[in-house]
Amino acid sequence: MTTTSPAPEAALDDATLAGRARDGDVRAYEQLVLRYQGPMFRLAARMLADRAEAEDVTQEVFLKAWRTITHLNDDAAFAGWLYRMTTNRCLNVLRARRVPADVDPDTTASTRTDTRPEHATEVSSQMAALTDALQQLTPEQRACWLLREVHGRSYDEIAEIVGANSTAVRGRIARARAQLAEVMKPWR
Amino acid sequence: MAVTHSTDNDYLLPCGRGLEQVWERLDDPDVDRHEASCPHCAAARESLLTLRTATRELIDEPDPPPPDLFGRIMSAVRADVRRGNTFTLDTPHPGAIQVSEQAVAVVLRFAADTVDGVRARSCRVRSSEPGPEGDQVIAVDMTIAVRSDAHSIDTLVAAVRERARAAATARVGVTLGRLDVTVVDLFEADR
Repeated sequence: MTTTSPAPEAALDDATLAGRARDGDVRAYEQLVLRYQGPMFRLAARMLADRAEAEDVTQEVFLKAWRTITHLNDDAAFAGWLYRMTTNRCLNVLRARRVPADVDPDTTASTRTDTRPEHATEVSSQMAALTDALQQLTPEQRACWLLREVHGRSYDEIAEIVGANSTAVRGRIARARAQLAEVMKPWR
Repeated sequence: MAVTHSTDNDYLLPCGRGLEQVWERLDDPDVDRHEASCPHCAAARESLLTLRTATRELIDEPDPPPPDLFGRIMSAVRADVRRGNTFTLDTPHPGAIQVSEQAVAVVLRFAADTVDGVRARSCRVRSSEPGPEGDQVIAVDMTIAVRSDAHSIDTLVAAVRERARAAATARVGVTLGRLDVTVVDLFEADR
């Protein structure tokens, strides 16, 4: 079929696109991918400190979302649903990473600096320090902190995403913030 | 900044203030007397401000996904297209044409979208009993969102019916029998 403009879906809201995607409309889903691949990739890259793995996670999440969108009851909740799948997938990847038995996990958590996200604009030493410091948080703290501070999700949404209550989420974010602030001390 | 672990949700500075309290007051120009003179609070504020600056850099950093990621995702999705059911179209020629219910749904959604103030959402198409002249009749459930300042819903739904019926006949070659339209949402004029 023909349409009156190149991509009329671009003007549509998430709920409309999700409703159409549930009916099997690939073009509507394409628009959702365009809209959310960046945020999901960035979340995964910061969670995993590995761009190649983040790419795989993002691809898996969008394919799984396409296959299971019929289970999404509330079309307006599409973004939160994607965040939940991405976060869970990242947490699973992190759990699956094998820690050598004879090494103390507390001291090895931040050794993957060789694979941390490298980007030309990451020139600020403050930001590099923050990027490294993020890897010293527990994966759950890191997820909560990133979702709140970088992706602007509400405490209730994060609770839904990580499957905890919002008090626990606030606690994790507070702990993460205290730890990150401590690390940032030399840069103040 | 020495912090002591006190409760699940807060970290007490040596002066007794919680780190979260300092964080929440970071943009508050009316710092209270304690905070104005307390070196612990001052140090905590500075560390938190540094963290916030670095966080904003992290947010502003474009860090685009790899250029081929979109293509890879969509290739996987297209390979996994849910084609759904098909039904047979009557043709004056030998042989039969199968058309997927999904393809018809796209046409009907597009027809509904042409009504000012309407956005089609889901559209379920199924074939029903043949019409009196042997023509293929379809039954459709459609949900729509309407613009909050648009015409009355009755007017909009009537227009949707008219366009959908015309499109089914003219663009697909089937007769639209039953069409259930449900208004499920409102949207703002500027979105």
